[in-house]
Amino acid sequence: MNSASRIRIDGRGGSPTPYLEYLESVMIGATAAPALELLEITKSFPGVRALDGVSFDVLPGEIHALVGKNGAGKSTLMHILTGLYAPDSGEIRVQGQPVEHMTTALAKRLGIALVAQHANFVPALTVAENVFAGAMPTRRGGFIDWPGLRREAAMRLGRFGLNVDVERPMESLSVAERQMIEIARALFADATVVILDEPTAPLPKHEVQMLFDFVRRQRDDGASFIYISHYLEEVFELADRVTVLRNGQVAGAAPIDALSQPDLIRLISGTDVERFQRPRRATVGAPVMTIAGLTRVGAYQDVRLTLHAGEVVGLTGLEGSGPGSLARGLFGLEPMGTGTVTLDGAPYRGTDPGKALANGVAYLPRDRHGLGIVAIRSVRDNASLSVLGRLTNRLGFVDGARERDLVQGYIDLLAIKTPRMSTPIEDLSGGNQQKVVVAKLAATEPRVLLLDEPTQGVDVQAKVEILRIVDELTRRGVAVAIVSDELHELTDMCDRIVVFYRGRITREFHKGSPEMTPERVLDAIEGGMMETTDAVA
Amino acid sequence: MRWRRHIPFVLDHLIWLILLGVFLFFASQTDKFLTPINITNILSAAAVLGVLVVAQTFVLITGNFDLSQESTLGLAALFGLWLIVPALAPYWGGGILLSPYLAIVAILGMGIAIGYVIGALITYGKMNNFIVTLAFLLILRGLMLAFTQGNATSGLNLPEADVFYFLGHENFPVPWLGNVPIAVPAMLLVFLAGHIILNHRRFGRDLYAIGGNRQAAIASGIDANRRIRQVYMVSGLLAALAGLMLAGRVASIQVNLGDGYIFTIFAAAVIGGVSLQGGRGTMLGALGGVLLLSTIDRGLNLMRVSVFWIQVIQGLIILIAMFIDAQRVRFRAPVEGDSATVPGSAPQPIEQEPT
Repeated sequence: MNSASRIRIDGRGGSPTPYLEYLESVMIGATAAPALELLEITKSFPGVRALDGVSFDVLPGEIHALVGKNGAGKSTLMHILTGLYAPDSGEIRVQGQPVEHMTTALAKRLGIALVAQHANFVPALTVAENVFAGAMPTRRGGFIDWPGLRREAAMRLGRFGLNVDVERPMESLSVAERQMIEIARALFADATVVILDEPTAPLPKHEVQMLFDFVRRQRDDGASFIYISHYLEEVFELADRVTVLRNGQVAGAAPIDALSQPDLIRLISGTDVERFQRPRRATVGAPVMTIAGLTRVGAYQDVRLTLHAGEVVGLTGLEGSGPGSLARGLFGLEPMGTGTVTLDGAPYRGTDPGKALANGVAYLPRDRHGLGIVAIRSVRDNASLSVLGRLTNRLGFVDGARERDLVQGYIDLLAIKTPRMSTPIEDLSGGNQQKVVVAKLAATEPRVLLLDEPTQGVDVQAKVEILRIVDELTRRGVAVAIVSDELHELTDMCDRIVVFYRGRITREFHKGSPEMTPERVLDAIEGGMMETTDAVA
Repeated sequence: MRWRRHIPFVLDHLIWLILLGVFLFFASQTDKFLTPINITNILSAAAVLGVLVVAQTFVLITGNFDLSQESTLGLAALFGLWLIVPALAPYWGGGILLSPYLAIVAILGMGIAIGYVIGALITYGKMNNFIVTLAFLLILRGLMLAFTQGNATSGLNLPEADVFYFLGHENFPVPWLGNVPIAVPAMLLVFLAGHIILNHRRFGRDLYAIGGNRQAAIASGIDANRRIRQVYMVSGLLAALAGLMLAGRVASIQVNLGDGYIFTIFAAAVIGGVSLQGGRGTMLGALGGVLLLSTIDRGLNLMRVSVFWIQVIQGLIILIAMFIDAQRVRFRAPVEGDSATVPGSAPQPIEQEPT
């Protein structure tokens, strides 16, 4: 920690506690002492040893990545660090000082700040108000000093290289900007270490870069970060050091330069799991869905696309360039727009999800918590949600035995890890939740399967299992479209990749062609094939 | 540590333990409690409340409220009476002299119609359910007052009203208990039907999904708005049925028939574990809530506790119920995210098919 990020700007916030003063005095002497240490942490839950002798530390001015599958123990470790859970044994040291009994309040005072995926803001309030939430500068009589507030907020953010209009409402900022402001807020509140929990999952590509540049700058100024992510490429890009958790133990810890990506994957999964490479199938069949010139103003324009039986088509592009909207439009979650779509030769319109499913068009949403699962209901209820109508007997009662058979079949097929099918789905890891969503869609026996970022926030193994079941579905003649910006995943999975740029299809890649590489696709995504865009514009 | 595993189960069924405890407590305090007449009283008081709570439970599970039930109840009963009695003072009748059987059909139809209008305003009109049903609570009660000019109507001693008596007034003999109003088994039947619908009909299962996550339910192909209209129609229907039962029980239709029921309805549902956030709750739990409130009400009466204190105690019971509910959430999931490491399943690597 250098002085820049520890300057106490706000005199009003109360003088630092004697404890903190003590910590600071200790710190001046020992520059290389870890900002934070967790020693031999063990934590059990009923029937589960969530953490087993885990040690972890963060040095000042370091970005330390914490990776592992869902369920490996990352969240538990962070919950212990932030005082949400008490460890069964082990020690927490903050700047060399052992902390006897960590509570959430103490963690906050010691400067352990968690920046969650969806930043913790009041969206309708301005940036300035959010920056000062809970500690607004006041004038005599308790009135808020608005000009002072705006000035202070702009100055503080400016110190971290953030030049935003502090009078804009928070909700008008991009997600990355909000995250940067939250990080800055943590840093000027004297954060010892900032925990970034999957910060990039909701971000489009270019904002990821913006966020990373910002985090690197703060690191260079002496701030410490714990970076939790499923995106290994980003771990390599950002982190200085990485610790891998597996089944509640440290599977490995090393400076990032000492590892290759396959090394890291091996550490995470414990086996030689590679990416799922879908073999080229000779089973691409008849056209199932034909989109002949579909336009929705502001979303996509003149889309012409045919999905064939047994084929996987990748749809990609920059955030907001069209593919996601197209999938939602075809499913009826958003207006489909004007134009002609035929399904098995008959005219088709995506009017609402119920009709789409009845017509054999299924959609996997990218927002799992918002649209994919009913978190408080059971695995069974979630898996059978879209097919209850088909599981009813002549008297209109849901046939319980058939329902259990169906769900158990998918639990086995997809290796869904759940204690029981009556377990609430929110108790499952993200990857297993997503498998239940896939089961729900597969149960509808779709003709067309639209997958919107199907592996987002899913661990490496679950990803492979999900992609394998998708491949299995294509062998049964389902036409699959995957909306994704995971380029390796697309090149591994797809027979064709269709690139959208500003709402229009600008480029198409075919499997087997030497052109179909992540690099070439990325180039097209970013508008590389301008001659084609010009032609249609 | 092992005992913690059973906490959720115990919390889910705590209502029955509490009911037993309350029973034993009152039985030890007054020897008038464990008497056939008192038990019958508890049950018949629970009958009308029970039917309304079944309806409210349906609505609550979708994450909506229906504050209008008690006014639907009053207006429906009054409307039925108006259909069958002569247009003569001191009665307030339409002089239609409709057959009482048809009148019952009309009453139930009216309940459904009111429910449909409420549901349509909420879904097509995109209006807030709390406010819409609050408005209907006022409008329907106001209509009743306006039509009758605030006068009490008690046409139920007319022979035409005999059929109306039936649900609320007719008894049948039960060993030990003596004469039990048929409203009691009627209420139990409604609960049973509610239970079966919630668990074994697509309709009920859809309601849980809608209350649990409406957007996900829609994205799973459920027509949430249609279900919400239907659930208000069920609520209106059962409110009208409760109106018949209550009118028969008190043998008159006052302009304040059903007034103030809404608080008890919500208390019973919440005590029974039905979540106001939607998506959680069972008919069995709601039945427990109904019986507990009726038992406490009668027991305190027998102990000659003042009416005012009874209200205080009911309020406290609601708070305790909410406290228990909060504990239920706390003990349910050990860890968010990491809890998927279930015993025996975590360490196995998946089999990799060569590709």
